Amino acid sequence: MTVTATVYLTALAVRADEQLFGYVKGSETLPKGASEIYQWITYRADKGAGHYEAIDWKTEFEYGVSDRFSASLALKSLSIDTRGLLVDGYVPGDKKFGFRFSGFEAGLKYSFLQPAKDPIGLAMYWSFDYDMLDPHSGQDKDTLSAEMQLLAQKYFLDGRLIWVGNIGYEATYAKRAEIANLPVGFDWPTDPEMELELKFGTGLSYRFVQNWYIGAEALYETEFETEVGQERWTWFAGPSLHYGGKRWWATLAYFAQLAGGGEQHPAQDDFNLHLIEKTKYEIRLKVGLNF
Amino acid sequence: MRNVIQWVALPALVVAAPCYATVYHTVESAQQACFPEATQFASAGVKLSKEQMRAIEKDSGVRVRLDSQRVWRATKNAEFLGWFIVDEVIGKHEFITWALALSADGGVQSVEVMEYRETYGYQIRNADWRAQFLGKKHGAKLKLDDDVKNISGATFSCRHITDGVKRLLSFHDIMLKQ
Repeated sequence: MTVTATVYLTALAVRADEQLFGYVKGSETLPKGASEIYQWITYRADKGAGHYEAIDWKTEFEYGVSDRFSASLALKSLSIDTRGLLVDGYVPGDKKFGFRFSGFEAGLKYSFLQPAKDPIGLAMYWSFDYDMLDPHSGQDKDTLSAEMQLLAQKYFLDGRLIWVGNIGYEATYAKRAEIANLPVGFDWPTDPEMELELKFGTGLSYRFVQNWYIGAEALYETEFETEVGQERWTWFAGPSLHYGGKRWWATLAYFAQLAGGGEQHPAQDDFNLHLIEKTKYEIRLKVGLNF
Repeated sequence: MRNVIQWVALPALVVAAPCYATVYHTVESAQQACFPEATQFASAGVKLSKEQMRAIEKDSGVRVRLDSQRVWRATKNAEFLGWFIVDEVIGKHEFITWALALSADGGVQSVEVMEYRETYGYQIRNADWRAQFLGKKHGAKLKLDDDVKNISGATFSCRHITDGVKRLLSFHDIMLKQ
């Protein structure tokens, strides 16, 4: 699987628009007529019990409809390897597969103010997401999400120091497929569920030499669900390294869960974290190319 | 984790690929473009003290990054034609190398983009956009979307070249004015 995907990614690699961070977003849009392809790879690991590894793959195409408005479409896939981990209502058993198509995502971004010209850059971002696999367990699950975020960006030191701030929410409708041979007493609700997630993110990135940025980002997410109220909350933070060239860029980010709460599973080894829908850490690599 | 290491190794290989710049002018060709009638360009590089850098910053409102400036005095035989200054401003990823020519009375005679390495924003080479600066002198407002039109999609480069002109007009006023 890795070899195939490496060839796939290598074929894409080479280009440049700024996604300086792994998780938080900047406010700038592509110029009119510009196109870019991004490959995202997110490695998620460790739920504090058993063995858990997952990789989210996303291949995204973005187009500058106007100098202020860009649209994107992404195909997503999932790899998962979980063993010896049972989380009631979430992870019903071992699962392992290498690479499965999991859904698609459409995004729109409109820039109201530009950070290079105005006191602060501001943009609205909308995304519409469909998943057919549960990213936590790898089981079949239909999920529809609509997300909206306000993105802010500010340049300092002639653009060498960049701050971004995000605030947004995501509404989700999800329905799980039935599973045969569930463990005795295991709860696996198949009624539709509605969730609302709020997120607040910030990041600071500094160009320390030409083409290279080093940064740090943090993200607070909390999710509310009809039955349990606040289902989860997490604080993630970590460093990011970005290279931007004339034709391509790459960003590598490490994101560790610093604190979390809400629902927890009894086997987890750290009760200061939320390890049901999140992991202890993530590593994200993005590569983009323009053409 | 083994998968991750393999993926991390990939960008390292990609990063090793060289970046390239588009060179539109050498110093000599830019000098000729700015002062075609000149017979001599005498190097007159300037080293700035901290006080001088601060004075230029205060006068222009633009940060001065470097303490030296590459300057030539353009003459036709013994007649002073003006100043030719090579400068760098910050682009999205790398520096934009450009040149400013000032006439003998300190007005902008020409703006030339010498090297451009960015993905977007190359429209700043457009002659009409650069022509907006012609005749501007020290004290001009030089503000994007005010007396200098912005090029949508090239805002970052427009902003920094505009700021660069403003800074060099202050540099001229403080350091070169005769």
